[in-house]
Amino acid sequence: MSRQIQDAYIVAATRTPVAKRKGGFRNVRPDDLLAHVLRAVTAKVPGLELGEIADVIVGCAMPEAEQGMNVARIGALLAGFPDTVPGITINRFCSSGLNAVADAAARIQLGEADVMIGAGTESMSVMPQMMGNKVAMNPAVFSQAENVGIAFGMGLTAERVAQKYGVSRQDQDAFAMESHRRACAAIAAGLFRDEISPYLVREHLPDLQSNAVRVVERWIEQDEGPRADSSLEGLAKLKPVFAAQGSVTAGNSSQMSDGAGAVLLMSEAAIKRYGVTPIARYCGFSVAGVPPEVMGIGPVEAIPKLLRQTGVSQSDIGWIELNEAFAAQALAVMRTLGLDAAKVNPQGGAIALGHPLGATGAIRVATLMSAMQHDPGLRYGMVSMCIGTGMGAAGLFERV
Amino acid sequence: MSNFIIRKVAILGAGVMGAQIAAHCANADVASILFDLPAKDGDPNGIAKRALDSLRKLEPSPLATTDRVQYIEPANYEQHIGRLSECDLIIEAIAEKMEWKLDLYRKVAPYIRPDAIFATNTSGLSINSLAEGCPASLRPRFCGVHFFNPPRYMSLVELIPCHGTQAKLLDELEEFLTTTLGKSVVRAPDNPNFLANRVGVFSILAVMHHTERMGLRFDEVDAITGTLIGRPKSATYRTADVVGLDTMAHAIKTMTDNLPHDPWAQHFSAPAWLHALVAKGALGQKTGAGLYRKEGKQIKVLDPHTLEYRDNGAVAPDELVEILKNKDVAKRFALLRASDHPHAQFLWAIFRDVFHYVAYQLVHIARNARDLDLAMRWGFGWQQGPFEIWQAAGWKTIAAAIQDDIVAGRSMSSAPLPPWVFDVDGVHTDQGSFDARNGTMQARSVLPVYQRQIFPEPVLGEKIDAGHTIWENEEVRMWSPNDDDGKHVPVLSFKSKMCAVGPVVLDGIIEAVKRAEHEYKGLVIWQPAAPFSVGANLKQIRPVLEAGDFAGLEAIVAKFQQMSQTLKYAQVPVIAAVNGMALGGGCEIVMHATRAVCALESYIGLVEVGVGLIPAGGGCKEFALRSAQAAARTATNDPMNWLQNIFQTIAMANVSKSARQAREMGLLREQDIVIMNPAELLYVARKTALGLAASSYRPALPPAGIAVAGRGGIATLEMMLVNMREGGMISAHDYRVSKAVATALCGGEVESGAVVSEQWLLDVERALFVDLLRTEETKARLIHMLEVGKPLRN
Repeated sequence: MSRQIQDAYIVAATRTPVAKRKGGFRNVRPDDLLAHVLRAVTAKVPGLELGEIADVIVGCAMPEAEQGMNVARIGALLAGFPDTVPGITINRFCSSGLNAVADAAARIQLGEADVMIGAGTESMSVMPQMMGNKVAMNPAVFSQAENVGIAFGMGLTAERVAQKYGVSRQDQDAFAMESHRRACAAIAAGLFRDEISPYLVREHLPDLQSNAVRVVERWIEQDEGPRADSSLEGLAKLKPVFAAQGSVTAGNSSQMSDGAGAVLLMSEAAIKRYGVTPIARYCGFSVAGVPPEVMGIGPVEAIPKLLRQTGVSQSDIGWIELNEAFAAQALAVMRTLGLDAAKVNPQGGAIALGHPLGATGAIRVATLMSAMQHDPGLRYGMVSMCIGTGMGAAGLFERV
Repeated sequence: MSNFIIRKVAILGAGVMGAQIAAHCANADVASILFDLPAKDGDPNGIAKRALDSLRKLEPSPLATTDRVQYIEPANYEQHIGRLSECDLIIEAIAEKMEWKLDLYRKVAPYIRPDAIFATNTSGLSINSLAEGCPASLRPRFCGVHFFNPPRYMSLVELIPCHGTQAKLLDELEEFLTTTLGKSVVRAPDNPNFLANRVGVFSILAVMHHTERMGLRFDEVDAITGTLIGRPKSATYRTADVVGLDTMAHAIKTMTDNLPHDPWAQHFSAPAWLHALVAKGALGQKTGAGLYRKEGKQIKVLDPHTLEYRDNGAVAPDELVEILKNKDVAKRFALLRASDHPHAQFLWAIFRDVFHYVAYQLVHIARNARDLDLAMRWGFGWQQGPFEIWQAAGWKTIAAAIQDDIVAGRSMSSAPLPPWVFDVDGVHTDQGSFDARNGTMQARSVLPVYQRQIFPEPVLGEKIDAGHTIWENEEVRMWSPNDDDGKHVPVLSFKSKMCAVGPVVLDGIIEAVKRAEHEYKGLVIWQPAAPFSVGANLKQIRPVLEAGDFAGLEAIVAKFQQMSQTLKYAQVPVIAAVNGMALGGGCEIVMHATRAVCALESYIGLVEVGVGLIPAGGGCKEFALRSAQAAARTATNDPMNWLQNIFQTIAMANVSKSARQAREMGLLREQDIVIMNPAELLYVARKTALGLAASSYRPALPPAGIAVAGRGGIATLEMMLVNMREGGMISAHDYRVSKAVATALCGGEVESGAVVSEQWLLDVERALFVDLLRTEETKARLIHMLEVGKPLRN
């Protein structure tokens, strides 16, 4: 393990509710969602001198169009941060948000910054295609057989994982059902309340009767994805989408969503200066590659690597936010690594809660921080996910 | 002359018929308001809205494109009754209960504009009785318009006046129904079940009567009363299932209740099994069980005695098939009558009793024999009406045979044949068709709307002027009807089977365009009967393929391309007049014509991948070019925005389910014309050619340079293919064929944005086409299609 100059701490984290694609945030721009969480996370540290934020690092998986033009800088400006606060957008698809937190922490660890923000934003409502506004493949992908996996749709890679790791349709559906059950229970118990910063949507709509523009306001306060009426029978009826003889359905895949999350990090010096109590210490981050055609298995490489880096054993980790891109890959990862199902996504995962690609990492860090605040017995927590074109990422946090 | 314009229609009653009539209005660009009762719970428009939802789901679709449903406004009588004043035509289509209808008439009458038409879609209630329930002021504008189910697809509409309906109004309505909605109108006197159902239901009763008398099974009867005798494939009992057994029972009851003095009245009762099925809700297709029931993959048939379902699978006896194969109708009937085979006797009996019935009733139920025969074709899908069959079989011989059977007590009724039967040699003549009231031959209607039908559907015995031939070869005929427009715009028709396109047709098109350029103002490609063309003539290609003569094959493709370019750059407008299928090469003719004029029921598609090939008669070229031109008008200049959809259309061999959908799919251009009545196709096509000629027509000049999507575009489309192949949705050969489509659409393996010529695009698609012909899989697909008539998945 490399020598650290100093530790980085998470002092605040928050997120928007996660809306379904074309749901509550259908008319909300991703840069506005980002500005909202930037304001909300900084508001959690009263007296914070915004000009002291050394950089705003924002993950986004499809950084173009409404979320293009370096959305990090635009979000920071829209949030009312001083002009002196810079911003950078980074992209590693589904781990972008987690990467932003890790990169922000690294800058503090290196002694280059005292206050940093790592965040993520994504609107899949405005980015209709999984490949952005313009799909433009490199012909080289198809001219060599070993590259063809780059062209595989994510669903197809999940089919490959299901096949390779023998994950049955029944198991996938049961897993999906449990994700909804846990998410609904968590919502009912108010467990997400502290981490969510409700969003006031203002929509300008044509009122054809009065011939005027009507401004409609409504609060989005809760995740929209979880379904209390999810049933095994209903899930079993869905048709496989990605393969003729497949097992991956819309029901056992993550939902397409809109959302943003932000995490405020500080050095020990800054904590002392502001007199804040940190929630957790950032322990480390790892990322690793796997074949693109089985991208979902990525955490199988990333998690052990992270444990080796940090010297923490798997059994010491009390809470794992494992992104459920697909039930097939989540189950394959859990079985391969022997993860304890009770500790994985105790409040549900992306199948129920949704998966706004580049925002998910930051959003799930916010969930983990909230869990650490609620449960004094929880020491180590992890956020991990698979990544398109074949990677896995994992980040580790320790309650302080 | 003043124009008769219907801007908006109100449909009262959002049931199956009401909603589908509204849908057909939407297909015809006629806006409508669909009324029903206010829903008890929730949205007061709930009933009408639910009807609109189910329109989207019905198959075959009542809507030409699903988004047309937006032209139907849901409404309810409580909140929106005042909006009736917006409507020029009000069609009532509520349940067949006299009291309910009269109640409604009282309610809506005050809101109907004094110049609006009020019509009922009743299928059997007396129009005059309903008229009496209308306020006196409304009666001159009241009549029956009886659509057949499903209204988009069934051509017939019966127009039934009440005493006092204004004659002018009926003429105007007939014009609207014919041209605007594209229907075939027959005027019917006000009788129970009017005309088509009167004869059609009698025919079913006759079949039921003889089925029971001879102890035949339903599936046995269906095996011999379908296509074998020129009726729909669903024959008798399966048709009843499709129509709905409750509807059937209702139509029979109308006869029972209202025709007590009909000499056949004793037979006007529904059989016990029909009552039993209706009572238990087995109403046919809509409830999943009726006379037939699908059990897993098997279809079982009802045993009328036990009401249990049992195995079905009757086929027509060989002996009967042999008789019916006879081309000579007179001989066919002589053999039927002479045969001892019970099925032959059955068929003679059902024909005889229908002949007997229509002869007896003609004076009451139809203006003339032509109306009756056409009503049976358009309303029941018979290839010929009963009088036509009788006449073809020998009028006098059959008349004598019926007479013998009446005397011998074999017919269903002992009523004598009317005397006129013995006075004529047939009911259809050059002078017109028999009108039993006046004992004269009545000519066709001279309403102006019928001048738009240059070749109306003729009945047997009616002489049609086939025009004069200008030039012809073995597979095409260039000709002109003997009328004014014919002097300026000749017609080109194909003689090949299903209007398939082989080298001789290609030569013919090229020659015809040349002649039109020299001597005429334009040219119309039109076929006297659908289809427009099923595409390349595979039969003619087969020997060249089997000889391995790839140079010969390439020459055929090159000629196809030459034909397309000849059409596109013809110096006079060339109009493709399309009705029915225009597939593959047929679609490419449509794409390259100056304009297409298409009947609504045009089924257009580039289906080459089904036989392992790609469109190479300029089809791919044209889309590469059109996408480049469309992209050039946008900020991003990216042809892929257009190519992705068209690629999927071609790669999946999608065929449009209407002309309007073909436009949505990009197979028709914005400037192509969609009309509702196929009988008006030639008229509109020639007028379009003349209009273009009058606008000093010049073909577009060949584009100087076309920027193509190139390698990048191919790779992007290939990504889709990789996922489908790896997901087991397409075969390796599908992949290869579709990649060839992608390559042709993207202009070949060149850099994105590379500028090419039209000839380059043609060369690319031709080379890819010939490459595919060299593969065993494509060869197998072609041969399979020829031998089995269906695509082979390999």
